[in-house]
Amino acid sequence: MNHWLILPILIPAVTAPLLIVSARYDTPLSRVFCVAANVVIGLVAIVLVHMVSTAGPQSYALGGWPAPYGIVIYADSLTAMMLLLAAMIGLVVSIAVMDGEDENGRYFHAIFLFQMMGINGAFLTADLFNLFVFFEVMLLASYALMVHGGGANRLRAGLQFVVLNLVGSTLFLIGVGLLYGACGSLNLADVAERVRELPTGQHQAMLTGVALMIGVFALKAALVPFHLWLPGTYREAPPLVTALFAVTTKVGIYAMLRMGFALDFWEPGTLFYSIGQWMLPAALVTVVVGGIGVVGARRLGEMAGYTVVASMGTILIGVATATEGTLVAAHYYLIHSTLAAALLYFVVALVQVNRGPASDSIRLGTWQRRSGLIGSCYFIAAVAIVGLPPLSGFIGKLLVLKSVQLQPAMIWTWSVLLGASLLMLLGLTRAGIMVFWTGQTQEQEPMHRPRGVLTLVASGIVAASLVGMTVGAAPLMEYLEHVVEHMLRGQS
Amino acid sequence: MRLALIVLLPLLGAWLPGLLVRTGRNACALAAGIPTVLSLALLLTHIPELPHGVVVSSFPWAPQLGLTLSFRLDGLGFLFAALILSIGLLITLYARFYLSNKDRSGNFFTYLLLFQAAMLGIAISENLLLLVIFWELTSLASFLLIGFWSWLEEGRRGALMALAVTGAGGLALIAAVLLLGTITGSYELSVVLQQREQVQESPWYPVLLTLVLIGCFTKSAQFPFHFWLPRAMAAPTPISAYLHSATMVKAGVFLLARLWPILAGTSAWFYAVTTTGLVTMCLGAIVAILKDDLKALLAYSTVSHLGIMTMLLGLGTPAAALIAMLHLLNHALFKAALFLTAGIVDHETGLRDVRRLGGLWRWMPWTGCAALLAVAANAGLPPLGGFISKELIVEQALHTPWLESEWVVPAVLGVSAAFSMAYSLRFFCGVFLGRPRWVDQSHVAGAHHAPQHHPHDPDWGLLFPPVLLAAGALAIGIWPQTLVEPLIGWAAIAVTGDHAAAESVHLQLWHGFSPALYFSVGALGIGVILYSLSGLVRTIGLAVLRFDFGRAFDLTLSAATRGTRWFVTWTHNGSLQRYVLVTLVGFCALGGAACAQAVYEPGARPLLPVAPPAVVGWILVIGVCLATIVFYRQRLTSLITVNVIGLIASIAFIYLSAPDLALTQIAVEVVTVILILLAMYFLPKESPRESSYWRLIRDGGLALVIGAALGWMSWSVMTRDFVSIAGYYVQESKPAGGGANVVNVILVDFRGFDTFNEIMVLGIAALGIYALLDGAMHGPAASRLDTWKPDLPQSPDRHPSLLIVPTRIMLPLALMVGAYIFLRGHNFPGGGFVAGLIVTIALIMQYMVSGYDWANRRISINYHAWIGWGIWLAAGAGIGAMVMNYPFLKNAHHHFHSIWLGDFELASAVVFDAGVLLCVVGAVMLALANLSRLGRRAYKAARRAGEQGHTDVLTPTVVED
Amino acid sequence: MEWIIASAIGLITATGVFLLLRPRTFPVILGLVVLTYSVNLFVFAMGRLAVDAPAVISESRESYTDPLPQALVLTAIVISFGTTAFVVVLALRAFLESGNDHVDLIPLESDAAEDVL
Repeated sequence: MNHWLILPILIPAVTAPLLIVSARYDTPLSRVFCVAANVVIGLVAIVLVHMVSTAGPQSYALGGWPAPYGIVIYADSLTAMMLLLAAMIGLVVSIAVMDGEDENGRYFHAIFLFQMMGINGAFLTADLFNLFVFFEVMLLASYALMVHGGGANRLRAGLQFVVLNLVGSTLFLIGVGLLYGACGSLNLADVAERVRELPTGQHQAMLTGVALMIGVFALKAALVPFHLWLPGTYREAPPLVTALFAVTTKVGIYAMLRMGFALDFWEPGTLFYSIGQWMLPAALVTVVVGGIGVVGARRLGEMAGYTVVASMGTILIGVATATEGTLVAAHYYLIHSTLAAALLYFVVALVQVNRGPASDSIRLGTWQRRSGLIGSCYFIAAVAIVGLPPLSGFIGKLLVLKSVQLQPAMIWTWSVLLGASLLMLLGLTRAGIMVFWTGQTQEQEPMHRPRGVLTLVASGIVAASLVGMTVGAAPLMEYLEHVVEHMLRGQS
Repeated sequence: MRLALIVLLPLLGAWLPGLLVRTGRNACALAAGIPTVLSLALLLTHIPELPHGVVVSSFPWAPQLGLTLSFRLDGLGFLFAALILSIGLLITLYARFYLSNKDRSGNFFTYLLLFQAAMLGIAISENLLLLVIFWELTSLASFLLIGFWSWLEEGRRGALMALAVTGAGGLALIAAVLLLGTITGSYELSVVLQQREQVQESPWYPVLLTLVLIGCFTKSAQFPFHFWLPRAMAAPTPISAYLHSATMVKAGVFLLARLWPILAGTSAWFYAVTTTGLVTMCLGAIVAILKDDLKALLAYSTVSHLGIMTMLLGLGTPAAALIAMLHLLNHALFKAALFLTAGIVDHETGLRDVRRLGGLWRWMPWTGCAALLAVAANAGLPPLGGFISKELIVEQALHTPWLESEWVVPAVLGVSAAFSMAYSLRFFCGVFLGRPRWVDQSHVAGAHHAPQHHPHDPDWGLLFPPVLLAAGALAIGIWPQTLVEPLIGWAAIAVTGDHAAAESVHLQLWHGFSPALYFSVGALGIGVILYSLSGLVRTIGLAVLRFDFGRAFDLTLSAATRGTRWFVTWTHNGSLQRYVLVTLVGFCALGGAACAQAVYEPGARPLLPVAPPAVVGWILVIGVCLATIVFYRQRLTSLITVNVIGLIASIAFIYLSAPDLALTQIAVEVVTVILILLAMYFLPKESPRESSYWRLIRDGGLALVIGAALGWMSWSVMTRDFVSIAGYYVQESKPAGGGANVVNVILVDFRGFDTFNEIMVLGIAALGIYALLDGAMHGPAASRLDTWKPDLPQSPDRHPSLLIVPTRIMLPLALMVGAYIFLRGHNFPGGGFVAGLIVTIALIMQYMVSGYDWANRRISINYHAWIGWGIWLAAGAGIGAMVMNYPFLKNAHHHFHSIWLGDFELASAVVFDAGVLLCVVGAVMLALANLSRLGRRAYKAARRAGEQGHTDVLTPTVVED
Repeated sequence: MEWIIASAIGLITATGVFLLLRPRTFPVILGLVVLTYSVNLFVFAMGRLAVDAPAVISESRESYTDPLPQALVLTAIVISFGTTAFVVVLALRAFLESGNDHVDLIPLESDAAEDVL
């Protein structure tokens, strides 16, 4: 019995009650448990990465019930990679919040751990309804984290976030219902089996159900036109929490990938082929909207939100074209963009606490206490996000561009990606100049030890891993090729 | 490895000055100088290999991408790298003395070295992708350097503009290189450069050429992208000298030369490159004379000279390429010297305006000498290097037809040569000759910048670099064959691959009386005349050349910013109504499109007969739904109608064989209503009328479409049979799950994992609610609570004994019922969740009726802990199985027989279900109890206000506690 | 029977959607509640309808209704209860914080300083 698979879910599920029962008002203890839990999850994820790459995909039947009847969790190399990524972000965020964000309200750490649990569960589960339940765990925790600390506009934005996601949840249920109503099963692999012999009368329900679920995933992943919730939410949410949300958007893409490959979205002639064909236009529009938003945003947090939108579009380009090369590119870009978004939000957090009254508004203003390190972190994040050399963003973008070359999608993809890069270059540069190059000579703003030292440390770790992704691009790509190969093999 | 080190040394060394930031300028400059010297030494060791061709070394980086760390050293790269390093060294020295103590020299030298490394990378990259990386790095480093004095607005603007223009070019170059890689199948230059035919015959050639040229022209400030260069002059002068004259701007020329073997020779190349070069050359020379700022004048002069080099490469002949290399070298020397002398003048006098300088020769003879030599080279006067290259250029131009007309190229060249002469004269005469003009212009605004003391030649550190460079320009003119001919020859061979052409050219100062000589003498003469008429020329020029490209760029950028901001605020206007609408429409479109992919077939499943009560219920639903919509602004009314809908749904569940669902739905509804009522105590009781009729109709329309779609889908599914996994559950529920109530067995066993997560959801919701309500105890929310005025009439009897007595009697009864429901759940409708809700309802009644304080004192349950223990219990049931090496949540059950209790089943799922119960009670009570705590605070505040004589508050007569 | 349920689902959904599109928090929350009713009915209906066949094993019964959608709906009810409770309290807190229960964000005021580089 291979219990490793359940641990990424179980560890936070068991640690969080500890924080509720015995460390309710004890912040230091909560911090210790939270960081420790994240470290352990990270170690488990490393074990899983090793395990699936040596012993192949693993599955675990909960309650001992066989596959289509009971709930099965399943980990292949993609799952393991996502778990590791989530654990990594979880860890750095849990370090960064110790600067004091966690004291702005109650139960930050417990909810944080539940959030990790939801994310990990959503990565692991192979059952569609169970995926819904994990989405809800993840979402409810993210609602609570998003409004953490309060403030009129944050609460309003939180309300919007919740309502739009509840619309998504409702549609998820409708989608799952239709799927079950059409083919009578919930296990994804079993559904894929049953689809092959599905009577034509059930096709309509099946197609609609799948399309709605893809829509819900697109909502989580903030793809146009389902992205509207993101900029406002990310503008108002506590930036350190938003850094964690960098992973939750990826859950949407991940679910899309899983479903797409299980149900052969990209195989001409199959039932769902048309759904796969809608993705590329959506991806391109998303990139464009993200790029425009980056230039037009008025606050750093909002701008960072649009960079996330653009990056989701970029990942979807790779997913939508679905060849081996594009998928490797998409996965590489996924990891990169998660890290880069987290880094940018760390910077937003640092700017908010160290800059003066202008906070993270994109206009000239004075700083209360400043440090060149914050600016350097912004610079690194911006370079990574725009996709300028030499950081991983460049490699990621190059991979995406290269993977579509000589395909029908090439002209559009290249123009959109490069055009959006230019827009982002303009927007991020302009914002950086306005926020970090103030209109004052440096004598008037002496360098101080900034607030948020741990956030700086966390930023350093993330920046280092971006560099690591760049230097170690070859082994990483090798792993990703392995991931993709497995995905494609599973398809046929 | 040695090749890679040439780049790596400055790259790694770049971090040193940054770390030494506190140790002062000397240490930083030294830390910057050492890697440069080492790198230069390393470069020079390769000289013996140069005549034999190309040195390549390669290390893998991301071979999957085609990106390798491979370097090449050939004549072209050597020439460029040697320039970068040697001028870089001089600049480092100069900057040490130029920067003041206030400047963060650590950062400065870090950026400088970073830039230097990037430039070296361009020079010696073998891999094209690697070249692109370095290419973009130079843009980034120059951005940091231009904006180094970030408090200057022109610095910030200049930096943004430079990065925007060169960055955009870089993006085009990325596309170009990828295309090139696709066409040739490799990114390694040694492979790519062999495939001239494939490239030029490829259908992609025009696109490729366009993209490459965009990249090169933006970098090398060619028309119409030239405007960023003068703006970049906001940088400290050593930077202007280094980046914007000697090195970075030449990267575009360098790349044109690099790709010359595969791209050049077509008429597309000729017309695009030569024409651009001609226009740029001429425009730069003319605009230069219109500028009063020394650095602006030099910037346009640089633009003009870059145009010359571009034009030469555009000609496509090996000889022209060789001359371009020579001019590249010459220009680097004399233009750097010119910038550095301009910097000295600025440093010593605080002035850069030609109109206000003059007569400095008297005090600064050495600076003047350097300037004289450099300016003469710039104008192409003998016996300097500039003269040699200019003669050769004219020679070429005289034989180049443009659109079959022989005179275009010479004419344009003549004009620009004349203007070069004129602005060179203006530069030198204006600064060093005549008499000092700042004295008699003291009334002009800003005259307080005029030097207080007499200017003099600066420290050796500032003086040495320009003097050396100027001397270099002179030496090239005098001994061209010994000094530069081999160097230029190697470079030309590297560009063209044509040994014969490279060897046939002999550099010498005196070519005899050739047409070229007459031509340039004529041009110079016109230049002198132009200078003597400079007042007139400048008036005409200023009147004619009024279009400011930089300003146009600024306007475009700000329009783009405003346009995108408008777009963003219009599309993302923060309106939830809009977001929900768009999202729903999106889902409709998605679902509709998917639905349309398949053909509808009528279902064959026999339909259930319609029962009369169902029809009654149906009519009721219609009525209640309509009432909800009509009365939606009356909140209490709509709450009631909504709950009636829920009630009818529960009844439908009972009728349709789902007793568990009905039970749960009703229990949940009761709790939800209590919760909403508690919250409504504070919320307005009525929604204002604010939706227009049009909007109501629109929303109603969308609602009908979605309703119809969902109704249709459910009809379509319900009317056809399907094969489901349900049979397994019915079959296995009793033997394997140990329970007769299949739904409950699914919940706690088959799909117990769902339930496990579901109680997490409840727990998280409760914790979130607690955090939200706790947060309301301070800040604006609290002050609003403290000034609360109830807007509903309140009963004078807050805790009527008529209610208190029955609820207190009910409590033990309800607990009994809860226990019963819990225990029977596995076999009959019921279970932990419903039981938990029943217990909760009983408990919350006590709070509502007897008051928060009374109940809180007597019911000493720590709801927080109950949530935690509930989760632990549920998890523990699962972990227990893991300990026995079963999967998580594996259920065990056993059939017991007892004399007293009869036959009964005991399943470990009971423990799980007990966890569910605990968690439910804890979560719901935590939420409700805290909500009533909020109400209590508001109530107390209202009472206080009432006591202070506010008559609008109804003071309760019975005061509890 | 089926058309009654289908049309009821449609009608309830329409009511919920209409409420969801209102500008104040309270109707929006009610809209979400109504939508859960309709979705619960919908998912339940996906197991097809059966009268007098509850899925409690007994020897006197031969046919049982599909228990799985029921279990799913039960889970969904609990989850939507949790989210509804949360969103109610969130709306309350947002109202207390700003004194206004509108659902829209307070827009950022335009700032002349934004255009000055």
